Amino acid sequence: MYISLQGISKQYASVWAIDRVNMAIAKQEFVSLLGPSGSGKTTLLRVIAGLEKPTEGRVLIDGQDVTELPPHKRGVAMVFQEFLLFPHRTVRENLAFPLRMMKMPKAEMDERIDWALGILSLQGLDGRYPNQLSGGQQQRVALGRGLVGRPKVLLLDEPLANLDRELRQEMEVEIRRYQMKLGIPFIYVTHNQEEALSMSDRIAVVNKGHVEDFAERTTLYDKPKTAFIAQFVGRSNKFEGKVTAADGGSCTIDAGGLSLTASGNGGLKPGDAAFAFVKNEKVALAPEGFVGEDNSLPCTVRDVILRGAYAEYLLETSDGLGLVASRPRSGEGPSIGHAVVAHWASGDVDLYPVKPDLGLRR
Amino acid sequence: MAKGNIARKLQKPALIGTMLICYLFLYLPILHIGLGSVSKNYSFPYPPQLTWATFEKLAENTLYQTALGNSLLIGVLTALLSTLLACLATMGLLRHAGRHTVKFLILFIAPLFVAEVLLGLSSLIFNGLFLQLGGNLFSAILANTVHCFSYALLIIATQLYRYDWRLDDAAMVFGATPLRTFFEVTLPLIWPGLFGAFIVCFIMAFNNLEISFYLLGATPTLPSVAWGALRYGIKPELYALASGVNVVVFLVLGVMFVLMRTGAVRFGHKPERERSAI
Repeated sequence: MYISLQGISKQYASVWAIDRVNMAIAKQEFVSLLGPSGSGKTTLLRVIAGLEKPTEGRVLIDGQDVTELPPHKRGVAMVFQEFLLFPHRTVRENLAFPLRMMKMPKAEMDERIDWALGILSLQGLDGRYPNQLSGGQQQRVALGRGLVGRPKVLLLDEPLANLDRELRQEMEVEIRRYQMKLGIPFIYVTHNQEEALSMSDRIAVVNKGHVEDFAERTTLYDKPKTAFIAQFVGRSNKFEGKVTAADGGSCTIDAGGLSLTASGNGGLKPGDAAFAFVKNEKVALAPEGFVGEDNSLPCTVRDVILRGAYAEYLLETSDGLGLVASRPRSGEGPSIGHAVVAHWASGDVDLYPVKPDLGLRR
Repeated sequence: MAKGNIARKLQKPALIGTMLICYLFLYLPILHIGLGSVSKNYSFPYPPQLTWATFEKLAENTLYQTALGNSLLIGVLTALLSTLLACLATMGLLRHAGRHTVKFLILFIAPLFVAEVLLGLSSLIFNGLFLQLGGNLFSAILANTVHCFSYALLIIATQLYRYDWRLDDAAMVFGATPLRTFFEVTLPLIWPGLFGAFIVCFIMAFNNLEISFYLLGATPTLPSVAWGALRYGIKPELYALASGVNVVVFLVLGVMFVLMRTGAVRFGHKPERERSAI
């Protein structure tokens, strides 16, 4: 593999900010590190950049062990959330910085800078200072500064977090395009699942300093490996209860009087406390009186939230249990106050133990 | 109602009056000496009869010229040394001290609270005993640096506090060595803070009497010559000297003010302000 993280741990005082992370990334891959703030994803990125020294473990880039190398000898580049353009230098000088550090001849340097200005549509702005640019332009310069030196890997630390939504979606497409064009790995840190899902080949979900799962984006979304992923990726209905019956093929749990059937047992035994997740879009709606499939639940529509192409139905059972169903908006859906039956297949229920043993050092 | 009106009417004159009293208190003695220095009757220049006689006398006096040279030397070298040390100390404090910052800071600024006389005396003894330095300029520069370092540190720290050290991270990720990072990115952005510290240290060391007095031996400086001259009565040269030094100090401050107003120098790097300006 092109980049390999072997048993990376980072300890601050007595806290393990990263705990034994192993990852291998291929040369043409777009990888996202997805996690909530404080999960250690940025620290992990800084370890790869050389801005933090890991307490344990090795970092290999292109077959070379760079663990002991300072950042300026690693041949990596980084795009920061706050852009961090050099305020006393013009756009052109900012773009020239990595090339000057490489001692590139002037003619080649100009060619590279013009290329970067071109692909990022920054022509005509090269004489401006960063404080004379809009946020989106600053972001593109920061990206250009990252790409212009053709680094071995580009590290992106929440680069779109400071942009408004429209610009963000535009940039997502652009960033993915540059990655495919240059054929170098991008490692992209974000807390935004939509960003991670839209751009990445593979996603590593980081929680409490360890990688919960590192998988293809579709696998991660469709078959979340842990309760944390099920909750963090996508939008799901969450139930907590006790396993009442479990065999090899299916499992029944009792969640506050509600009986749920799941296919597969998630390694659970009768009596275990369990979380069950059902993705909002897996909850189907049927008219009152409908019976069928594995799980069906009579509810009342409390509210309907319009999301454009689809609508979210906020449902409530007679026991006061809340539930959300996302349905495409084809034809007339039920309206507020209507009685409906929410139903879903047992295969769409993901079960996890309530207290998983992650074996973390605390 | 009427009472309120009177109070409101008096408010502005009262404010202006207070301001004038403060300014007069601060500047009357200096103005008096300034006027004296350009008057025929320097000791009571009312009404003034303008003449440059006092300055001519000052210019003729070679002792004052030697003293001026020495004072400039002490001022410039002390300012250079304390700014350099304070810059290094501040970077260490802000980048590497972490939760111990306050403890280190207290030890760095404690010399501020040592009486200058004591600092002079202890430096004399120490420098003579362990560094084999007799009373000379170099010894005085070292002792003044001890005093000025703390001021320089406070000035630089207030400016560097706002500096975004992640800019240094960016430079290093893009291939700059730590030294190159300092000269290419850090220094161009923090030099106004260093410049401010340099000016303040220069003025303090240039004007210092108590510390220099102990360490200079027979080497004359402007404050020590002026002090010594007192024994023979207040001569016209002293008027010229006092107003001359004041004019130079105000000129330096004036230049700094103009630089700041025109934006040629901004004290401290303020990325947040630049961003919010968009």
